[in-house]
Amino acid sequence: MNSGIDLQGSFVQTLQDFGLPIGLAKAVWLPLPMLLMIIGATVGVLVVVWLERKISAAAQQRIGPEYAGPLGVLQPVADGIKLVFKEDVIPAKADPWLFTLGPVLVVVPVFLSYLIVPFGQNLVVTDLNVGIFIWISLSSIAPIGLLMAGYASNNKYALLGGLRAAAQSISYEIPLALSVLAIVMMSNSLSTIDIVNQQTGYGILGWNIWRQPVGFIIFWIAALAECERLPFDLPEAEEELVAGYQTEYAGMKFALFYLGSYVNLVLSALVFAVLYLGGWEFFIPLDRLAEWIGVADTTPWLQVLTASLGIIMTLAKAYFLVFLAILLRWTVPRVRIDQLLDLGWKFLLPVSLANLLITAALKLSFPVAFGG
Amino acid sequence: MFKILKQVQDYAQESWQAAKYIGQGLSVTFDHMQRRPITVQYPYEKLVPSERYRGRIHYEFDKCISCEVCVRVCPINLPVVDWEFDKVAKKKKLNHYSIDFGVCIFCGNCVEYCPTNCLSMTEEYELASYDRHELNYDSVALGRLPYKVTQDPMVTPFKEFAYLPKGVVEPHGLPKGAQRAGKRPEQILEEIEAAKPKEEAAKEG
Repeated sequence: MNSGIDLQGSFVQTLQDFGLPIGLAKAVWLPLPMLLMIIGATVGVLVVVWLERKISAAAQQRIGPEYAGPLGVLQPVADGIKLVFKEDVIPAKADPWLFTLGPVLVVVPVFLSYLIVPFGQNLVVTDLNVGIFIWISLSSIAPIGLLMAGYASNNKYALLGGLRAAAQSISYEIPLALSVLAIVMMSNSLSTIDIVNQQTGYGILGWNIWRQPVGFIIFWIAALAECERLPFDLPEAEEELVAGYQTEYAGMKFALFYLGSYVNLVLSALVFAVLYLGGWEFFIPLDRLAEWIGVADTTPWLQVLTASLGIIMTLAKAYFLVFLAILLRWTVPRVRIDQLLDLGWKFLLPVSLANLLITAALKLSFPVAFGG
Repeated sequence: MFKILKQVQDYAQESWQAAKYIGQGLSVTFDHMQRRPITVQYPYEKLVPSERYRGRIHYEFDKCISCEVCVRVCPINLPVVDWEFDKVAKKKKLNHYSIDFGVCIFCGNCVEYCPTNCLSMTEEYELASYDRHELNYDSVALGRLPYKVTQDPMVTPFKEFAYLPKGVVEPHGLPKGAQRAGKRPEQILEEIEAAKPKEEAAKEG
């Protein structure tokens, strides 16, 4: 079977035909997908911020942003420009180095994690064989940054917020990792490409959501907690802690936190789509359909079509999950810190462990359906 | 052995219930998304204040007899009535009258008790200014009539909730000439007038 469009291969081949050595051709290729991914992630954040404001408004029977651009689509851009031009204040008794390093440590790992998000068989920055593991390990750097920001601010609310953020991230990482582990066990690989490929072939029926209904819910709860979305937004609970670890931040440093939280939300939704909703797969198996109609899978137009459909499908699934998160935000009240830790340690952790064991048992007894 | 099974069952049931309630909540939020926004986009759209609205106070200088009842009924003795006794005419002569709307709470006591009806409530509520001393209205400023929302060509006026037809909760897209639920004051008056001759006839007969 043909693996679809391969931009890197074609690009390197073209440069080689111009007489460039292969090493140089690959070096020329390298920054392109990374740059594209950073731009894509940032634009994705603008879209999510706009969506969040519009959907929130709709859920509360308001109109939301309307005057900045058509339907207010330029509102997040206006917000961003405002934050860029604001004065960058560092409190007098704060630790300037840690204060600056905090937001950087929060944002950089999130952007790095985009390395492993696939939009197609070859439409990925790099196909690491530890793919999903690198996402989990990178996401555990963020609490260090949050703690750093909270501690360096020299403010009791910021410190409390930072401590809460660290406690929350650490306790929800475990059920998250365990539910991912169940998926990994079924697909015998940590690579995101392999995880999607294992779900292909049967359209919507082959997606992991049917084989991992419990893992699916645990993952979404834990991902919401990791992103500090509303039922779990204690670290910045504005009614109690002013704004948590963000209290002393302004201008570009605050913008980094803001950006980081939304990039993280989109990233979690994308990873979720890859793990449970079949990544770039369409609802019906397209390659079988093409075979049935009698179109060879090396036909250029078919390849372009499947590739663009793959990107659209991945984004559509991710944005559906973002929509769900926003809807959840206006539905569920914020939990207390003890309820949060209770839910994490006493409910999600044992359930995800049981889920892992049951998956292992099913894998041994039904190797056909559970990737033996 | 059975006790722990029962505990597991109860726990599972509780979790299922919690999930069910969250699902119900989500459906409510989702349902709200399809409803029309009730936003009145303020500078371009405004609500018509009701006839009993207690806005900025209007004052007619010529009607005032300087009796100072408004000062006595005011919770903080706010109106300033500057008069002197005209010995020739043997009457009070009013020089100045002012109310500071930065301090006024718009309770309407002065309007209620004014013996000559020289004080009245208007529907004006946009009193913002850059200096609080500008809120101290003298008799000239108090004598100005507010601009009506319905006459402003820049503004789309909307009716308030109580003035909408039965079953309508939102003023946008209301057909022109739509009446509120129940009888209008004119209609009630008409009915009373119509019933009068009958009553009189009944008395006589």
